[in-house]
Amino acid sequence: MIGAPVLVSVRGAAARYGRREVFRDLSFDLRTGQALGVLGPNGAGKTTLLRMLIGCLSPVAGDVRIAGFRPRDALRRTAVAYFAGAATLPPAVRAAAWGALGNGEVVLPDRRPIRALSQGLKQLLGLRTVLSRHPLQLVVLDEPWEGLDSESSRWLNATLELKRDRGAAVVVSSHRLHDLAGLCDDYLFLMPHEARLLKAPEISRVGPVTAALLADTFDKLRERTTG
Amino acid sequence: MSGWLYMFRFFAVVPPMPRLMIGTFGVVTTAIVAVVAFNPSRAPQALTPVLLLQLFACSSGFDVPARRGHYDLLLTHAGSRRLVLFGHWMASACPGAICWLALAATCRVAVGRDAGGLLTTGSVAAVCLVSTIPWAVTLRLPRFSGAIGWLLMVAVLSLVAPEALSMDVERSSGDWRSWLQAAWVTLVYPPILVGRSLHGTEALATVPALLVAMAAPTIGIWSAQRRDIPLEAAQ
Repeated sequence: MIGAPVLVSVRGAAARYGRREVFRDLSFDLRTGQALGVLGPNGAGKTTLLRMLIGCLSPVAGDVRIAGFRPRDALRRTAVAYFAGAATLPPAVRAAAWGALGNGEVVLPDRRPIRALSQGLKQLLGLRTVLSRHPLQLVVLDEPWEGLDSESSRWLNATLELKRDRGAAVVVSSHRLHDLAGLCDDYLFLMPHEARLLKAPEISRVGPVTAALLADTFDKLRERTTG
Repeated sequence: MSGWLYMFRFFAVVPPMPRLMIGTFGVVTTAIVAVVAFNPSRAPQALTPVLLLQLFACSSGFDVPARRGHYDLLLTHAGSRRLVLFGHWMASACPGAICWLALAATCRVAVGRDAGGLLTTGSVAAVCLVSTIPWAVTLRLPRFSGAIGWLLMVAVLSLVAPEALSMDVERSSGDWRSWLQAAWVTLVYPPILVGRSLHGTEALATVPALLVAMAAPTIGIWSAQRRDIPLEAAQ
């Protein structure tokens, strides 16, 4: 994927809420057909970074580009799938009607309002709705495995791999390391006040990246930032 | 074009106001149609409940549901934030506008050519005012807060200074104070315009309110499209 065009380019990005600095000087590139895993403890800025990529937040410093455009402008030209969790679904809307907002097909034939669904079913509905759109050029998912059962998790992994193989750039965050292990080409560790991008071969020289290797890397980085 | 179509589809599924409110519009309109059909002389008063409902419907609030992530799907699909905001305003104003037109059509059949005053310039101005200003005022606020604030203001004014809600600009034409008073009243109490055919000084007095009605959503859309939409839970 080295020769593939860069879809997401982040240069020296910083984010803050009021006086609280979330992250600063964050830089990375993501090419089409690549997957980036964003890891970090709660409050490290995973959701903030992902919202920056879809243009809902602007960096206080630095620059974010999607296919060469500012994210808000890029949305007109780039097909983006974004989902930030079951809590973002409007509770009064019927599940079947919401699911049809993806590509017009009913992804979940359930006439109950979303508020009546279980947490896992809400999560699955949100994911299937955004991922039913095709072709997709950028997939941005925030903690997508939250609440999913093992069958749904397998479906999600297979779908993300399929989208990536078809040329979509995938950015996916999780604080559970085993979710991301082996799935991504690059891993972005967001620690308080420090971010570190590691390529999969830098974490595991032989074989796929495992949850244990991610945990080991994560601990080393955390020791460095706290120590 | 696909952005527009998607926006319509989205707001049909996720209306900016509660579904109960759309039902209330239906019930109120049906009741008023029945009243007007039996007693056409009540037609001018028929619009006031619809205007009151429209005031609440248009105080729909954009930022709060957007910060909860309810519009994420639309924001990433529609392409343009301006289009999303415009669609939000249209979806907020549509039910009330449809009720008004349904009432006017009924009154035209029951009363005759002037539709019982529901299609006069004053009525059109009143509908425009309650469909635009509350939406712009409530953009950043929780749902209905604009309408509640307006109700409080009108209630307080009617108790403390009832003369501040009266309009007799025609009788004292030429007096700039009464013109100013009329301009103020049309802005804060649009139902006063219902059934009036605006001419001369009275028409002139509605100009500032109509300018505010045009400027408020424009400024609202302009400022909201630049604003960040953080996720409530992530701050």
